Amino acid sequence: MSFVKCCFEAGEGHDFLDSFVQKCTDPGCCCGCCSALRPHYKRLVDNIFPANPQDELVKSNMEKLTYYSLTSPEKLDRIGEYLFQKASRDIYRRRHGFVIIAMEAMDQLLVACHSQTLNLFVESFLKMVQKLLESTDPQLQILATQSFVRFANIEEDTPSYHRRYDFFVSKFSAMCHSNHADTVTRDKIRLAGIQGLQGVIRKTVSDDLVENIWEAQHMDKIVPSLLYNMQTAEKYETVSCMEGGSGAEPPARLAEACLRELVGRASFGHIRSVLRPVLTHFDRHELWIPNDFAVHTFMIIMFSIQAQYSYSVVEALMQHLDAAGSGGTDPRARTRVRAARATVLSNIVAIAAGDSVGPSVLEIINNLLTNLRSSVARDSEQKETDEKLYQEALINALKEFADHLPDFQKIDIMMFIVNKVPSIQRGNKGTKADAMLQSILLKSLLKVGTTYRTTELSKAFPAAFLEALLRAGAAGQARARALLQRILHTLLDRRGNAQRLQRASVDYAELGLTIEKCSRQDLIFISKHGYALFSSLYEGLQLESNTMENVEAIYTTLALICIELGSEETVCDILQLILAIQQSGLSNPVLSVAQQCQLQAVSISLAALLPHVMMLPRLAEYIHKIIVARREEAPHLLPPLREDYDDLHPSKMPNKLPYLMMDLMALCELLKAAGVEAARLSASSPYAAGSAAAPHRHSWVEAGAAAGRDSLAELAAPATELDSANSSPGLQRQAQYDDLDEEYRMFIEKYNHNHRPSKQDFGTYRSDTDFWYWDHDDVPAFRSKASSVYKQTQQSVYKRSLQTWYSMNILGRVQCHVSQRVMRLPAPLFLSLRHVQRDTTCDVTLKANFCVHVYRRSCTHVMTILGRECVKRCINVFKLGLLVTCIFVNSSTYVLQFIYRSPYCQVQR
Amino acid sequence: MEDYKFLFKVVLVGNAGVGKTCLVRRFTQGLFPPGQGATIGVDFMIKTVEVDGEKVKLQIWDTAGQERFRSITQSYYRSAHALILVYDISCQPTFDCLPDWLREIEEYANNKVLRILVGNKTDREDREIPRHIGEDFAQRHGMYFLETSAKEAENVERLFMEIAVELMEQAKCKELPKYDGSLGPINGKTTSVGDSSCCLR
Ligand SMILES: Nc1nc2c(ncn2[C@@H]2O[C@H](COP(=O)(O)OP(=O)(O)OP(=O)(O)O)[C@@H](O)[C@H]2O)c(=O)[nH]1
Ligand SMILES: [Mg+2]
Repeated sequence: MSFVKCCFEAGEGHDFLDSFVQKCTDPGCCCGCCSALRPHYKRLVDNIFPANPQDELVKSNMEKLTYYSLTSPEKLDRIGEYLFQKASRDIYRRRHGFVIIAMEAMDQLLVACHSQTLNLFVESFLKMVQKLLESTDPQLQILATQSFVRFANIEEDTPSYHRRYDFFVSKFSAMCHSNHADTVTRDKIRLAGIQGLQGVIRKTVSDDLVENIWEAQHMDKIVPSLLYNMQTAEKYETVSCMEGGSGAEPPARLAEACLRELVGRASFGHIRSVLRPVLTHFDRHELWIPNDFAVHTFMIIMFSIQAQYSYSVVEALMQHLDAAGSGGTDPRARTRVRAARATVLSNIVAIAAGDSVGPSVLEIINNLLTNLRSSVARDSEQKETDEKLYQEALINALKEFADHLPDFQKIDIMMFIVNKVPSIQRGNKGTKADAMLQSILLKSLLKVGTTYRTTELSKAFPAAFLEALLRAGAAGQARARALLQRILHTLLDRRGNAQRLQRASVDYAELGLTIEKCSRQDLIFISKHGYALFSSLYEGLQLESNTMENVEAIYTTLALICIELGSEETVCDILQLILAIQQSGLSNPVLSVAQQCQLQAVSISLAALLPHVMMLPRLAEYIHKIIVARREEAPHLLPPLREDYDDLHPSKMPNKLPYLMMDLMALCELLKAAGVEAARLSASSPYAAGSAAAPHRHSWVEAGAAAGRDSLAELAAPATELDSANSSPGLQRQAQYDDLDEEYRMFIEKYNHNHRPSKQDFGTYRSDTDFWYWDHDDVPAFRSKASSVYKQTQQSVYKRSLQTWYSMNILGRVQCHVSQRVMRLPAPLFLSLRHVQRDTTCDVTLKANFCVHVYRRSCTHVMTILGRECVKRCINVFKLGLLVTCIFVNSSTYVLQFIYRSPYCQVQR
Repeated sequence: MEDYKFLFKVVLVGNAGVGKTCLVRRFTQGLFPPGQGATIGVDFMIKTVEVDGEKVKLQIWDTAGQERFRSITQSYYRSAHALILVYDISCQPTFDCLPDWLREIEEYANNKVLRILVGNKTDREDREIPRHIGEDFAQRHGMYFLETSAKEAENVERLFMEIAVELMEQAKCKELPKYDGSLGPINGKTTSVGDSSCCLR
């Protein structure tokens, strides 16, 4: 057997050569003679290839090769290199069958070899993948992608830090945009591109040392590639997290899943890197109008992002509202884009509401208001309907956001807004822009107000708020004043009567009003603020510029006050006001005839309402008599109000009919007869007779204001625990306030110091557990409590809740990678998690999932709805998680209901 | 065979329809594709050439000219060793846009990138931009200049070969890391030509 021959002929076993080659481990040692030989590993590699490229990999020989590489792992790099060389040659010669076999062999070796030796092999493996990706053949590209994905799913103990993936990101992104003539092939390539990107993300995302995937150069490729595939889908239905199912185009679905995964893995510092290309993509591809895809995408982002960061998305979108880019230079197109962006914002802002803490809440509000203001500045003439749409969308966003905040924050927000309303001196019309802004802000206020559900009036109207409201109501144009009354209506109306009291009437029996006795707190409230409230409403009726809408709106307010606050203690004050209104309708010289008649109708209507609120049968009789008489002689002094009373005969003027008026003395008698202390009624009226320029008007407002400040202090007094934003994620943002106006800063300050007595809000839940009292606990104490609570929690219940949480996951949250998330939880929470995990009765992943979901969900829903507690720090978060566990003991359905109602689930419908 | 000494990344930019894709396909595949469709996003081609007996691998990224893909295409500028800016000599607007393109290149590409201005479609009768106008423009902005026809295969080979030569010279004089296939530096960890090289002109 010739020595030379064996060098060039492979495939035959030559034992003496084998041993020779194996002994010779250093290729440099044998004077180059080895390189002329075909070493054992090469022959093993050669043997796996069939004679015919159409045939399959030779399995038995592949096993031999695998065995060899396992026993001689130091050869792996050379095996890899050799396979690569062979494949390169085969690609060049277009023998694709052999290329596929080589790739398959590499796949098998990759899976087979141990992680310590993996690194030796990966280098040539990836070179091979790259080589295939460089070919123009779609089949090879797809094959290479599959191999890459397989590799990406392998967990390496020590990933190679010098390995770079930018070719793969570039190439896979290009594949995502494939424009192959054959659509089936095109979709296959695109799908492969997305899979490849997903692989790169998985491989790199958890370890910045490997390759910082979040860098702009990568994100600017990955994100648009995913979006491009999503936007081509026919319908943007939110895909449930469960794989399988059918219908939607695969590339679109996978792209969406991949985006969810990417967003879900973004930590705080990385969110912007994802969002920026998203926003740019929407601008570039003009995807804001129509905006369903934008809404869809941002929903996905909101639902995938780690809950505590959802605020960032809102913030980014808000900052982008005004950005140029889309719509070109045409200002109208720009406005339309702006409006579309704002609509998207209004669609997602609610989701962030649950996770926003003090300062960020106000930041969002402030930002929306600032945008409103600049919109008004752009177009105070309201010529542009597009601008109007934009404003509507912003106001809607405001409402959506407020709607999902706890009630006490709504009041704060309203207060914040009302303080922004520009004050317009009466008589002086102010600029058009001011008037516009005023009415827009009042509209916003009304929107927020409608989301608030009043229980106690003193909570709905903290003194400073009431004062600001009344001040705003005293100024402005007729439209704005009417708006303000509507705000009062929503806040006053606890029993759903406002709708029935829109029009003045004397026939209350048919209206089906809901009337309950007012509480002590209400009485305290009215005794404090009644004066300011009444006099402001009275003043409001004395304005020459009043339209019928104004008069009627104030009537509704007063009627609501009668219903909400009517009692023996207040009846004198109310009657006094009614009489003052009646009098002003006779004697105020600035009022038109129509206004005079309207005031008569309003006063008699209010008087007729009183006997419905409390037992005053003789008053009812007396009023009824007057009504009957007016019906005969002067129906224009009765409701319904009319716009004009032009054809009125001079003898029918209200001041010509004194005998049809309510009489102070008669009313005093009636009250006395009913056992009501009427001295206050007969005392001199504080209401100036009819003049808008009443000299002491201001002193009332002032008095109310002073009282207001006192009671604010009272309110703030029990302010307790909650250690402000010191430990909240919002703190970092404080640095950014520089550019915000002083007013806002002060508000934030006040906000941070004037805490809510939040414990009172918890009502029934408080007794369930003592969790709420952990606020002051330091971490070790917290830990021990966590463990004891955990022990208390019955195993079965625990399990049940786990399953519930688990099934809720199926509702459509993107599957999260458990281990990673757990790692990301803040330290104290993590400690407790370890404790939970020590429990051996449940499946570990289930447990981890549970914790993760408690964590995520508690941030969003449970936090908002269950505890009206601010998310102060993570301890609270986990505490709530445990609380939820415990609540399952009593009322799991209750909690579920909450969760079903929450915005998270709405998107599924 | 993977025995190339150098790997260079070449990116083509320019208005839609100027013939970028045709140039690339002419060079890599030796054909003029009839009815070439507009590129979407980015396309990728590879070609290995020989310069002074050494193999040079060119990674060619062919970007879409359409506005809407601008943001993704820009992300490919950064790692380019050479940028080919193409206009259509029979279409004035494609020439008028050049300053905009230069601004983009300025913003997104490495400032040491080799820049080549190419006037394509010289085979066409209806020329609108005389050769010297293009030349002037290139000179003013420190670019190489060449007129080509993808259809007639005119200057296409030369365009890429000159790029390869120029980049190789740069690489040699700056001792850029070599792309020695057998040592297997993978996936362009040495993308940053400009970071280390200092001179082009
Ligand atoms: N006469 C002539 N026509 C050409 C030449 N090169 C390209 N074309 C034609 O120009 C049109 C556009 O060519 P493409 O290569 O797709 O242009 P592109 O720059 O890649 O366009 P985008 O991908 O949209 O950016 C096609 O119809 C080609 O046939 C050329 O050298 N001469
Ligand atoms: Mg093209």
